[in-house]
Amino acid sequence: MSSPVRIVLAKVGLDGHDRGIKVVARALRDSGLHVIYAGLWQTPEAVVRTVADEDAAWLGLSLLSGAHMTLVPRVLELLREAKLERVGVLVGGIIPEADIPKLLAMGVARVFGPGTSLDEIVQFLKARSEAGHA
Amino acid sequence: MLEALLDGFRRRDRQALARLVSLAARGEQTAVAATLPCPAKPSRVVAITGSPGVGKSTLIGQLIEHLRTKNLTVAVLACDPQSPISGGALLGDRFRMAGAPDDGVFIRSLAVPGGRGAVAERLDLMIRLVEAFGFDVIIVETVGAGQGDTAVRDLTDVVVLLLQPESGDDLQWEKAGVLEVADVIAVHKADLPGAEQTADQVRATLDVVAHSPTPVLRLSSKTRCGIAELWQAIEACPLRRGTAHSNHELLGRLQEELAARFTAAEETRQPDWVTTLDDCKRGDPAALARALQMLAR
Repeated sequence: MSSPVRIVLAKVGLDGHDRGIKVVARALRDSGLHVIYAGLWQTPEAVVRTVADEDAAWLGLSLLSGAHMTLVPRVLELLREAKLERVGVLVGGIIPEADIPKLLAMGVARVFGPGTSLDEIVQFLKARSEAGHA
Repeated sequence: MLEALLDGFRRRDRQALARLVSLAARGEQTAVAATLPCPAKPSRVVAITGSPGVGKSTLIGQLIEHLRTKNLTVAVLACDPQSPISGGALLGDRFRMAGAPDDGVFIRSLAVPGGRGAVAERLDLMIRLVEAFGFDVIIVETVGAGQGDTAVRDLTDVVVLLLQPESGDDLQWEKAGVLEVADVIAVHKADLPGAEQTADQVRATLDVVAHSPTPVLRLSSKTRCGIAELWQAIEACPLRRGTAHSNHELLGRLQEELAARFTAAEETRQPDWVTTLDDCKRGDPAALARALQMLAR
């Protein structure tokens, strides 16, 4: 029996804009995923604990504050420390072009910027999940 | 793989617990139940139920804080609805209850398929997993449901029903269902006007025939009033759950076994099975008994 893919969506740091992540949460829900919404103002430590306890296959981080080059590496480091490298990490929000290759090199699976269609995110997760991730 | 998980579980590795809960949710490895270590002492299993928006998750957040000051560890199994159309779910309970990461707190969000009651399938097994892991208190948050969702009573020690001010007139409380299964009734959001009146109406309904021992409290997560009193009322309730297997759990296993046999019979499609099933579909009552006998073999 196949079971729905579980994804944690969270905003780390002090960024208080959550419209984007809520729109993505709705789209993923409607495509059949189980979305664990962790919400605003999360610490990297809290996010990693959530991913572990919820046994999620994916973690989606939304950052619009410009703090991504500090917070994303910290989350990735904590995931490695927790032996959760298998968890795929997606980043969305306002990420300058120049930072995208750096984030991908750190181990982020994909960066979705403004203008990304919801369908693109859904298709990406479906394809990767069917290919055996999670 | 299962052995490694169970080893990790015995070493109190939280990730092993998290993975085993996933297996239980998927209905795999339900045999795990037989191999679980016995809990050192039984957990107190508390259900929090009530209609959507009454404040179940927020109150659980407050209860967690209260229990941690008493050095009690807490596991929360939080149920939210799953879409009957897409199969998707937005599980948003932990967002309202999780504080900073704490080894004494485990929160797991669970999706409940539409029309299957107020709690996740195989919740019984999940409760036994977190109990065997050694949490002092297990809190089950039901889907925001109400009348008729009473199955949770069999799985837990104490059922707390949350109400809010201005929820229904006095006849509302006469209806059968959720008021009957509650061990503790709490009027939440008691900082709002009308809480006292709602509590009085419920009290009067409970006492209409004879004095009822069910406590009716008022509390507010906003002003943090009444949380300690709620825990006292919960602690005063006896541990009700049966020992290893509840009837509910056994019935669930029998249903699963029967469903598996039915699927197997459908796949092989022996001629006498097909004929019997056709007779059943035409409404022949004797054929139903024959089908049952065939599945029993």
